[in-house]
Amino acid sequence: MLRLAAHLDFVLTKHSFRNLRYETWRFNRLRFVASFAEKILAVKYGGVPFVSSVMKIPESGTMEDGPNSAPHNGQLGPSGVGTSSSSVKVNNSDDNNPRLQYSIPGILHFIQHEWARFEMERSQWEVERAELQARIAFLQGERKGQENLKNDLVRRIKMLEYALKQERAKYHKLKYGTELQQGDVKPPIFEDGIGGEPVDGESIFITNSNVNWRQGRQLLRQYLQEIGYTDTIIDVRSNRVRSLLGLNPAGASAEKEEQTGGGTINGGAGSGVVSGSSGSSAGAGSSPGDASGNSKRLSETQGRRAPAKKVPPASLAEAMIMDTEAAVMANFDFLAQEGVGVEVDDEDDMSDEMEDNTDDDTDDSATASNAATSKRNKMKAKNLRDDVDAETEEVLNEFSFLGSDTDDASHELRVQTDTTDWDRGRLTTSDEDSEWAMDPLHISQLKELYRRDRAKNKRGNVSRPKRSALQDVLNEMGLKEECGDPYSFFDTSSSTPPSPTAVSGFSGANSGGVSRRNVVPAPVTGPTPVGIGVGGEAAHLGGLAGLSSSDDESVDGHLGLGELAQLTVNNEAEVSYDISVNKESFRKTWNAKYTLRSHFDGVRALAFHPVEPVLVTASEDCTLKLWNLQKTIPAKKSASLDVEPVYTFRGHTGPVLCLAMSSTGEQCFSGGLDGSLQCWNIPGSNIDPYDSYDPSVLSNSLLGHTDAVWGLSLHSQKLHLLSSSADGSVRLWNPQSKSPLLSVFTSESDGVPTSVDFVRDDLNRMVTSYNSAACILFDLETGQPVTRLDTDKGVEDSVFGRQINRVISHPTLPLTITAHEDRHIRFYDNNTGKLAHAMVAHLDAVTCLAVDPNGLYLLSGSHDCSIRLWNLENKTCVQEITSHRKKFDESIFDVAFHPSKPFIASAGADALAKVFV
Amino acid sequence: MADMECRTERRNRPGTKTIDYYRWPEEIFEEMDSTLAVQQYIQQLIRKDFTAIDEILKAPDSQDEGVWKYEHLRQFCMELNGIAVKLQNECHPESCTQMTATDQWIFLCAAHKTPKECPAIDYTRHTLDGAACLLNKSSVAKLGSVCRRVYRIFSHAYFHHRNLFDEFENETFLCRRFTEFVTKYNLMSKEILIVPIFEETDSGSYIGHSAESEA
Repeated sequence: MLRLAAHLDFVLTKHSFRNLRYETWRFNRLRFVASFAEKILAVKYGGVPFVSSVMKIPESGTMEDGPNSAPHNGQLGPSGVGTSSSSVKVNNSDDNNPRLQYSIPGILHFIQHEWARFEMERSQWEVERAELQARIAFLQGERKGQENLKNDLVRRIKMLEYALKQERAKYHKLKYGTELQQGDVKPPIFEDGIGGEPVDGESIFITNSNVNWRQGRQLLRQYLQEIGYTDTIIDVRSNRVRSLLGLNPAGASAEKEEQTGGGTINGGAGSGVVSGSSGSSAGAGSSPGDASGNSKRLSETQGRRAPAKKVPPASLAEAMIMDTEAAVMANFDFLAQEGVGVEVDDEDDMSDEMEDNTDDDTDDSATASNAATSKRNKMKAKNLRDDVDAETEEVLNEFSFLGSDTDDASHELRVQTDTTDWDRGRLTTSDEDSEWAMDPLHISQLKELYRRDRAKNKRGNVSRPKRSALQDVLNEMGLKEECGDPYSFFDTSSSTPPSPTAVSGFSGANSGGVSRRNVVPAPVTGPTPVGIGVGGEAAHLGGLAGLSSSDDESVDGHLGLGELAQLTVNNEAEVSYDISVNKESFRKTWNAKYTLRSHFDGVRALAFHPVEPVLVTASEDCTLKLWNLQKTIPAKKSASLDVEPVYTFRGHTGPVLCLAMSSTGEQCFSGGLDGSLQCWNIPGSNIDPYDSYDPSVLSNSLLGHTDAVWGLSLHSQKLHLLSSSADGSVRLWNPQSKSPLLSVFTSESDGVPTSVDFVRDDLNRMVTSYNSAACILFDLETGQPVTRLDTDKGVEDSVFGRQINRVISHPTLPLTITAHEDRHIRFYDNNTGKLAHAMVAHLDAVTCLAVDPNGLYLLSGSHDCSIRLWNLENKTCVQEITSHRKKFDESIFDVAFHPSKPFIASAGADALAKVFV
Repeated sequence: MADMECRTERRNRPGTKTIDYYRWPEEIFEEMDSTLAVQQYIQQLIRKDFTAIDEILKAPDSQDEGVWKYEHLRQFCMELNGIAVKLQNECHPESCTQMTATDQWIFLCAAHKTPKECPAIDYTRHTLDGAACLLNKSSVAKLGSVCRRVYRIFSHAYFHHRNLFDEFENETFLCRRFTEFVTKYNLMSKEILIVPIFEETDSGSYIGHSAESEA
């Protein structure tokens, strides 16, 4: 019995082990049940001894079965021992009544508890197992993806190699007329499987391919050099490929850095990407970091393009071969041309250096070739990065430094597509990085100062004129056509140091920023050899794009020079903004867009608002009307838009003959057949046409003329008004003063004044035309005639009449232009009074003239129903538009240019005004 | 070019004196080759003698009546500008808060999306502006309503600014011509022609008007 108890104890103790296996437990349970049954028997039969003999076997069996159990038992420590001893005690004391100790429910409960615990643990293990299996699958998938990628690339490399061999053979044959024996000239065969690829993961793969890669690249380099492919190009290419192969995990950090610091700008700067990233990490200084940053960036770039270029598996290998071959051939075309157009530099040593460096890239090459400069530059970049809020002078100094420096750089750029420029580009970009944080005003200030400095610092680059000079030349010569030409831009950009160009682009018209942003979504052309050689900055870029523009077409989409070229154009627009934009706008063909239909009778005059798309018309129906071109209603029949007037000025009791708008656009003045001169406060252009009457719109009337007022002209700075009247006088008014009439000019012998204008380049003078064909410049101070223009000649024998219908002064030049009844337009020099040019401009009397705000184009209207646009430089007609119908023998009364927007307008006897865009 | 020499050019060149404006030999309607011949012809007649109303309103034989009416109405609206200018100085929103002629009707201004009670001067301006809009869209169908509306300008001036009206009428004979015009072409019913322009007495015959709140 005691033994039995000991056995039970043992079993119990054993059960208390935490790490029991399920099987063990089951075995023990059997044992337990057995012993339990025995115990019951013993109780029943009063401890019959035969049972104990039976019991011996299981006990020893248990001991033998679990040899591990013994040490466990020993290790169990006090608690286990205690338990057993206590149970022994209990057993001992309750020898005769074990039922108290082991009730059936208790034991069942214990069993159930244990069962639940083990089940739980088992499920935990299963979950763990599933997780691990999932991870394995994921990793396997990843690896497969990498291998596919690598296979693609290897395939491509083989293609390239093959193509090179072919090319070399061809070359050889052409040169020596014999076939070149170069062994294995056979198209690469692409086996489907992974074959020779390392099966066991990335680490081996990397090391292996690093070696293979190096060799392969060396070979490639050799080939490429034979056909004039520069090392830099190869390096960039290899970099890209390597990054694609995932060899540069370190890039992630560099990329992150870039993203924090002006990443958008750099990232967007097209081919500036490379130098951009390196620029941002240049502060950190260490070249490996730069390199990996670059390549990571490149990989990103490539990754974006990858889907399109994804080569299908071997089933389509043939088609793919064709494709690639074509691409390669295209490349070679480009290369060949470049070889001709651009001097190929011979920098084997440098390439070797790069070879040694595992992370050879643009920066390193730069460092190698121009270590000192790049070091300085890096320091500069660092400084700039640190001192975003640096003093003006400091930045200025740096600018000037940059100026001289970049000057050299661009010089080099012209001589050879040099790798040294890369670093320059990077510096530039990092400059920008810090620059962007500053306010535009500051920048523009700096820009101005910088320009001046640079003009001083400029070292003998005679071939490249200053930017301002260039613009002047453009202005003078009217090289409009040339503006679109990349070469001319090349000049502009290369003479303009990169960073200020960008800054000017940014501060002026925002177009810089815009154009940069525009490039973002485009396939980044960063790794393009040309782009990198130029540097990250747009101007540089443009420069080289111009340089290699002849190659643009032949470069395939892979290189993406198309985008480069676009970038160039964008940049060009911003560089020469002030001149070219306006020029562009007038170069186009004008089309009628708005029809202003509301007057009941002929429209005698019109005037544009200085800024807004708003104009005022004056009509023979005694009213003036205000038109807002933004408030249109689509016309039923034509493509043009009908505009309804937003306001009608009523005050004249007879036809309104002339009109002038103040330079603020707040007031206008009209002269009528009744001799009155009305001053109007122009209501807002968004006024409700059916608002209530506001008497203050008609501010006052200028009384003095005794006959029809035919001509008005406003001083461009002060609110002084000149009026010419059929009463024979020209009057100068200050409409705001209490006695508005300032002076009266008469020249009775010359007849009736027909038209009057301030002399725009000498506002103390005015010019008046007469119906006697006289045209006189008066001094406004003295009231005396200063110059009598030589208008009598050529007019006297005309059968059409001697009348001058309109006189206007050129906005910038000392030139007076007259519109004659005898169909002529004549140009006179204000200083000498001599005729500068005369032309038969229309088929009928010329009635009106207008010069565009830049003084480049002249608009004329005639009773022959047409308006004509003239190029003032060569006095040729650019465009003729038939515009208005005749009423009696009159057709067109007035024409006008919008002072700041690309609008022209004509007013006609058919009661219409038309606006052209 | 040759015939240009012998032809008289009808032009108001810059510098033309007021009295010489449009003073050129008359052109026979049939010789007017311009697309604006009807307007030219009407204006020529008016300039010749603005009191000769019958002459002015007599359309040339070949003339399409619709265009004739349309061009005349344009001319009326244009000339009504003169009375509007005069009213601007005299008819203030404070004194004439509503567009009325007799006390019988308040005319609502139709220029707005929902017709509203504009002061007389605003009504005048809005009506003329609206007419300019309508007439420039060549909607001949609306001549009647344009006539009714612009006539109220006459009636307001007549009943509220009699001196102004008389002065203007003496200069232009416009109300007479207009009344004659709408009567001749049946554009308005006689009952609503409330200005007794052809009656010597100023007593004003307040004939009962028919429905007239059409805005």
